[in-house]
Amino acid sequence: MDELYLDNIDEYVNDHNKIVTYKWLSLTLGVHVNTAKQMLFHYLDHKRKESSTPLHATYLVTGKLVENGNTSHKVSVVREEQLEDVKSKMSLTVSVHVYSVQKAALKDSGPLYSVDYDAVKDNLDSCSRYSAIKCADAVPFSPAEMRHASDALQFPATEPHQSKSASVNGQGNQTSKPATKPQPKGIMGMFTSKAAPKNQEPGKEIKVEQKEDTTTGDVSKSKSAPKASPMSNFFGTQATKRSEKTVKEETTSSSSVETKSETSPPAKKVKETHPKEVKVKETQPKEAKAEETQPKERKEPSDSEEEKMETKKRRRIKKPQSDSSDDDDVIPDSPKQQEMRKPPPTPERLLKEKIVSQPNECKRRKRRRVMKSHTFMDEEGCIVTEKGYESESYSESEDHVQAGKPANVPAKAATGKREDEKKAKKKMSPPANKGTKQASIMGFFQKK
Amino acid sequence: MTTLTRQDLNFGQVVADILCEFLEVAIHLILYVREVYPSGIFQKKKKYNVPVQMSCHPELNQYIQDTLHCVKPLIEKNDAEKVAVVIMDKEHHPVERFVFEISQPPLLSISSDTLLSHVEQLLRAFILKISVCDAVLNSNPPGCSFTVLVHTREAATRNMEKVQVIKDFPWIVADEQEVHMPDSRLIPLKTMTSDIVKMQLYVEERAQKT
Repeated sequence: MDELYLDNIDEYVNDHNKIVTYKWLSLTLGVHVNTAKQMLFHYLDHKRKESSTPLHATYLVTGKLVENGNTSHKVSVVREEQLEDVKSKMSLTVSVHVYSVQKAALKDSGPLYSVDYDAVKDNLDSCSRYSAIKCADAVPFSPAEMRHASDALQFPATEPHQSKSASVNGQGNQTSKPATKPQPKGIMGMFTSKAAPKNQEPGKEIKVEQKEDTTTGDVSKSKSAPKASPMSNFFGTQATKRSEKTVKEETTSSSSVETKSETSPPAKKVKETHPKEVKVKETQPKEAKAEETQPKERKEPSDSEEEKMETKKRRRIKKPQSDSSDDDDVIPDSPKQQEMRKPPPTPERLLKEKIVSQPNECKRRKRRRVMKSHTFMDEEGCIVTEKGYESESYSESEDHVQAGKPANVPAKAATGKREDEKKAKKKMSPPANKGTKQASIMGFFQKK
Repeated sequence: MTTLTRQDLNFGQVVADILCEFLEVAIHLILYVREVYPSGIFQKKKKYNVPVQMSCHPELNQYIQDTLHCVKPLIEKNDAEKVAVVIMDKEHHPVERFVFEISQPPLLSISSDTLLSHVEQLLRAFILKISVCDAVLNSNPPGCSFTVLVHTREAATRNMEKVQVIKDFPWIVADEQEVHMPDSRLIPLKTMTSDIVKMQLYVEERAQKT
């Protein structure tokens, strides 16, 4: 009976060519993890004495490590060859035990996770049944408590959900950002992280859907407004359509928000609702337009150019509204917007769209460290890809991080409409050049 | 529970998509595990909720994607019998072949709730098996390259030659030299049976590699 486990493990390791981890063994045989660890150790010992087939083992080492004056508790899974090395580096070794035994020499740690995945998934409700880590206070909720907890979660549900979706898409670093602005940063994260574009695409859809949820729900729509305009700037047609849809859904209530916000909003918030509302004007009566022009007139002169741009834009869209459907309005917009990054387009209105959006973002410039990958040809003619963290400055809505600062500054300073057009044209060329340069790097990621 | 037939092209496309995604991951993993390319070009990514190694090299990725793009229509129509990833030495003699035998049942009954997660679990097992296959295989000589061969049923290849699915990416009938491997031994790796597809993975290895 006592020796039977040796045969069991032998069968798994040699015949099935499995990676036997202690966790998997404990779940499969139904024994406590410490017993499983001892079993593996004895098996290894036994087999090594027999010296039949070469076996590899990995160990879990935990201990105190002093590095650069900082003491930390380090837990690591190491190969057998590195075991003594790692142990010697630690000031105090708390525990060492066999983590897994397998025939293959593992090249990386990925399979170790895969092995346990299904075993843990099957035993999800009792995966700590055999575990040595216990906490007396950790008791599962009763059904009443569960209901209470789920009710409490419903309202802030969207925010944790966003951060959850962000981490699912491989952007774990997004979860730590403040909940008030999860969306723009999540979107930015998508464009700069190294996640495959496949992840990006569902990520985009999730984010847009999240936006739909939040915007239709809340009263504080003005907060969500800045998210729509940056999103519409660089999402494709489909996503733009969706953001238009969400904007449509909120037009009725946002017009009421507009009236409330006339009295004392920060000028920026109201201004930011405009680019969106401007696009979805078709169903709004003219009074809504009058309402919006009113708060505009109250704004400071520094913002007047944007208002004038917006009124111009609004008028443009109102005109063909009787002729064409919503989608026709929207579709010509977005491809043209994308073209803006290339050599300057001719229609003035597009320039103004850009102006409208840019000043909104210039206030939210931040620096962040981004993993960037540079692919270049080195002396030997080999293509080299170097990955490195770079600190770069970005504004939340821009997908390519550029010094938009010189471009944004003239936007603020200008007062007259004519001047704006000139400066807008000037503005167009630096982003346009950078756009083409950036496109090649982004193209590398989006190809995948 | 719905019963769909092969004529339901939508479903055929779904199956082909799943298989092509899996084959892409599997090919990358084979290249990593068998050290066909240096491990520096590989990066850990997530697929089926487990970490897998995928290459970052744009041309390699494009080649694999184009290859699978051409294979996809064959899988949709259930014309592809086997997809083989052949690793060849410097003289272009095959040393190893990872063969995925694919067959799709003509009548499918689906209960979609657990189907896809079940299939995901099975594909995960395949990935795991590829990761540990170097225990049963001898190591390859240095300077190996790889190619992908598709064995089709009947005469589907004639269509492929006529119609270039991707421009400048022609498929040609494989040489006897690339297909035939003398003194090979067969090592089965994994088999899976599910409602939508049956797949078997085995490795043919040349007895003497160097």
